[in-house]
Amino acid sequence: MSSAGIDKVRDWILGRHPERTELAADVDLIESRLVDSLAFVELVYTIEDAAGVEIDFDAIDIEDFQTLATIEKAFFA
Amino acid sequence: MSQPLIGVDLVPLARVGELLDPDIGPVLRRFLSTEELAASRTPDGAPDRAGIAGRLAAKEAVFKLLGAVGRPVPWQGIEVLRGPGGRPGVRLSGTAAELAQHAGLGPIDVSISHDAGFAIAVAAATTSRPTHLAGSVTSKGMP
Repeated sequence: MSSAGIDKVRDWILGRHPERTELAADVDLIESRLVDSLAFVELVYTIEDAAGVEIDFDAIDIEDFQTLATIEKAFFA
Repeated sequence: MSQPLIGVDLVPLARVGELLDPDIGPVLRRFLSTEELAASRTPDGAPDRAGIAGRLAAKEAVFKLLGAVGRPVPWQGIEVLRGPGGRPGVRLSGTAAELAQHAGLGPIDVSISHDAGFAIAVAAATTSRPTHLAGSVTSKGMP
């Protein structure tokens, strides 16, 4: 069962892609072009807002942002 | 022996409108430095959407010269400011400067244009380490 936080992140991504109705936890957000370089900053901002944390942009590990599953593990576990 | 490099990027002005939406918070501050924010206003003080889109496109174009796959764009470390004669100039700092040094880049030049709802930018430089960059282009893409 997913947390409310990761649901916010999923909803934000789906809101940017109205052609999609669902987003599996293992979909690669970057390779699937669901998140581009501009949207990546907004994604970080969305995660910060949902998780109540501050993310150091200079210390980001891109692997943490690859899928909803990795985001949930890194920021909502 | 040096090798020329170019990077190009395109940003729709509509994306800037999204970033200016007050409902999503001060996201633009993540992309632009204080100096860039000050330079991204029209004479009447309104956000210069074309200027912001061009600046973002130029940052991404410069980033493509760095060969830094698997890393997010260090937006704050690639500043695009007005240079001599009104041409855009590039100032690197922090991670971006380290990546440029690692890639063996010489001075970087950028050119920006806007029309029909889009901004496009091209960045050019030479590298003294072409093999370093050649090895990186086969790696996984990045945001």
